[in-house]
Amino acid sequence: MKVPPYALSLRVADAGRTKVRLWLPMFIVWPLLLALGLLAVIAALLVDLVFLVTARRPRYTAFVVGCLGLAGEARGTEVFVNKESQTVVLTIR
Amino acid sequence: MNPERLRILDLLATGKITAEEADRLLDALKPRPGAPNPDENPSQTAPTGLPKFMYVKVISVAGDNVNVKIPLSLVRAGLKLTSLIPPQAMDQINKSMSEHGMSIDLSNLKGEDVEDLITALREMEINVDAKNGDNIRVYCA
Repeated sequence: MKVPPYALSLRVADAGRTKVRLWLPMFIVWPLLLALGLLAVIAALLVDLVFLVTARRPRYTAFVVGCLGLAGEARGTEVFVNKESQTVVLTIR
Repeated sequence: MNPERLRILDLLATGKITAEEADRLLDALKPRPGAPNPDENPSQTAPTGLPKFMYVKVISVAGDNVNVKIPLSLVRAGLKLTSLIPPQAMDQINKSMSEHGMSIDLSNLKGEDVEDLITALREMEINVDAKNGDNIRVYCA
């Protein structure tokens, strides 16, 4: 699993002039996300335990861990949209 | 020597592929025009020389442009995640997808297929030139 995104930047420009420039420090919410992630993993483990008892294939823990891993892989994503004079650039770092 | 080039030559030597097929594969290894040059920015390419990103570029004659750069590792993780979706949720996803015209059974996607799919994606290049002059390009680099 990789380090989750530490920043998200958004830039909205109109006719070459930047109207909105946002830099969201994602690392500030890391502790909160870690706590939520741990809760989700614990809940999934409990569900899988019930599934094991009822002889069904446990998959929820793997799915939750996969979702957390997916967030880490999003780093490097860039979206650039230009329509007429408006431009929107979104970058996940 | 590049490990991919070596592998292709090895396949040719063992007779698993023909000289024509080897030529085509070697051609596919050559850098594409317009693709970022790994020498210019080594951080953009994995140490093995394999593509790291998938690019989707839409250029319309009306002047609307879309340029999306997605890490291939994100594509891989997303595809692998589909094989981990619990069956209860999978039925609903498949039903919803078929309602929207995508009759794909995601439960058929296995972990080993994902690796093959990613390998195939790396060699994929889609070029669409619409009648109205719009151009769509999907490639990995």
